[in-house]
Amino acid sequence: MNQTEYTNENIKFLKDIFRKYYFENKYFPYLYSIEKREFGYRKFDSLVVRHLSFKNIGELVAELVRNVPLDVYYSNAYYGFPSNPINEKQWEGADLIFDIDIKDLNIPCFHDHTFYICNLCGFVNSKQKLCINCNKGKTYDISIPCKRCIIAIKKEAAKLLEFLRSDLGIEEKFIEIFFSGNAGFHFHVNDPNMRNLDSNSRSNVTDYIIGNGFMCESIGVRKSRNGFMIKLPKSGIMNGWRKKIASSMGINQKSELKLRHLVEASGGYDEFRNEINSITKKFGVHIDSQVTNDIHRVFRLPGSINGKSGLTKTKCDDLESFNPNNDACMLDDSEVYINLKTKLKINLKNNNFKLDNVIEKVPSYVAVYVVCKGLATISKNQ
Amino acid sequence: MAKYPFLQEASDYIQETKFDFAEFDRPEMIHIINRAVEKLENELKGKIYSNLDEYEIEIMTFLVSLLLIKSIGLEEVSKKCSLFEAMRVERFLSTDLSNERSSQKKKLLVQKIFQDLFNINIDFDSTSSICKLSIPDYLLRASKMYEQEWKLINRSVKDGYVYLDTDEAVRLIRNELSNLIYTRVKNMKVYEVPILIKSKADELRKKYSGRYVYRNQFKILEYPPCIKHAMEIINKGENLPHSARFMLATYMLAIGKTEEEVIEIFKNSPDYNEKITRYQVEHLAGKKGSHIKYSVPSCDRLRSEDLCFAVKECENLINPIQFGRRKLT
Repeated sequence: MNQTEYTNENIKFLKDIFRKYYFENKYFPYLYSIEKREFGYRKFDSLVVRHLSFKNIGELVAELVRNVPLDVYYSNAYYGFPSNPINEKQWEGADLIFDIDIKDLNIPCFHDHTFYICNLCGFVNSKQKLCINCNKGKTYDISIPCKRCIIAIKKEAAKLLEFLRSDLGIEEKFIEIFFSGNAGFHFHVNDPNMRNLDSNSRSNVTDYIIGNGFMCESIGVRKSRNGFMIKLPKSGIMNGWRKKIASSMGINQKSELKLRHLVEASGGYDEFRNEINSITKKFGVHIDSQVTNDIHRVFRLPGSINGKSGLTKTKCDDLESFNPNNDACMLDDSEVYINLKTKLKINLKNNNFKLDNVIEKVPSYVAVYVVCKGLATISKNQ
Repeated sequence: MAKYPFLQEASDYIQETKFDFAEFDRPEMIHIINRAVEKLENELKGKIYSNLDEYEIEIMTFLVSLLLIKSIGLEEVSKKCSLFEAMRVERFLSTDLSNERSSQKKKLLVQKIFQDLFNINIDFDSTSSICKLSIPDYLLRASKMYEQEWKLINRSVKDGYVYLDTDEAVRLIRNELSNLIYTRVKNMKVYEVPILIKSKADELRKKYSGRYVYRNQFKILEYPPCIKHAMEIINKGENLPHSARFMLATYMLAIGKTEEEVIEIFKNSPDYNEKITRYQVEHLAGKKGSHIKYSVPSCDRLRSEDLCFAVKECENLINPIQFGRRKLT
């Protein structure tokens, strides 16, 4: 939300809906070691409260119903004393969390459904990055993911799942996939063997998944005085990234000669290295490495409402059939009037909404969605 | 035991023989002391001492070496000798694991060194020279190595395991072996050093104490491209991501800029708030919060955070701090 959305009507409306959702408390998945996590939340006035801890889900829900935050977070880390200041928390490990977001996929249609909203006056335009209404405010962008975006992000999520299962060997029971509630997926890995990895080790894992830093030497191509030489590694080229690269080039452990020809055909060591870089980009997954590498980060709480959209961070048991606009939309459908700042077409709870008028009567879940996105306000004349 | 004198069995042997340190002053011990001195001098010159003798001699030489290092009392000598001692062991271990035909003996060696000493579960294939260990066991060690070949992406990885050849597996524990020897020296409580060893240690200290003042001051002639890029963005008044701000501030502090100078750099940020910037810069400088001075992120880290804009001169650097510096004479 921007400054214009922080009006009493909007806040009261959202708070009532959010409070009801938390009071009913139907969608909170099980949280491992809740008593060892740090909790925090963002209030509607943007203030962030951190270093909270709760003994059980009941205590947490009571706090949410009492204070009704815009966004709720919890730590990936397990602490001896979660409510102490950061240096006195006594870190005991952290889940490995991966974040993939539609905006990082560079999908061509992304800009077609991106809106630029002025920070000061709330004016919405779909093309300009500068506010053409007040000429003072800076704009921020929001997007309403389309079907193509959802298909692309699910494909990316499936790639990540394959890396986690096959390469990292993480058992399915330790992987939980959540729709973030806005435009991405969070993968929570609570494998006890991975919990103690430090930030550098996690960075090594993220580079593996993204495909950063692959060396031609790993598949046996080395730089030499005469250009290059071939020496296949003793540990083989038929596992992990070595296999991905080798298979895409049609080579195996016995293809020294073919590999030599491939390097020569590409123009030498440096050119071959560039070719490899483009292959790693193709196979790698677009994850946000900083999210995974941070061992003290707070993440959106599963089952909580995402203040950027009004959708819930929802557990996703089957990626293929998951429909975020339906499965993560869990709010009330009582009707309410909204003032729209732009024409919109959206689909929520399997219903299409074509919002062409300035004032529209819509179900509350639609109203929450567009108000949270900054594209509408609650009408004063209900 | 001759090749691995740091194992428990070697300590047990010394205890069983009821050996007393005072016995080192006996004339027949001179050749052991001289051997230990020769070994240390080799190590301090950057060479691995490859001579191997009977196990009794090796155990005693190892003990004298530790006493000498302790008595010399120079941190750099302790570190260098520990490292080269570890490299010596690495060479023996690598050969033993490759050449040993008896799978039982091979297993025992792996258990004694990898499992008992360092708590690494490693499976050596009895027919090939390939072994496997779990990804977390691998990462906890490999992430401390700077060479890119140790990154997980450059390894043979499958189903949660990393596959290494014998030399690589042994290389993986070099730092731990070195730390083990270093800690042994550090924790040694010697109330009276035998006279002969003390006089040899005094000679070695005199000879080597001047050689290790190598922490020279450097002058930065040019900023690395990652820093230049961050500075350009800041100067344009554009928003810099948190990780880039962290890199920029730690770099500037590391090259000797004052906190005030660093704060000044951030004044052009669109969301500049002096109070917050001051707190964060002072925090990074180790003056607030945890009181830990933060280091400049490594090139590897910057690459993975998309903050690297490497140019040709960046080749072989592991940290931006190494870029464009010249030693002050």
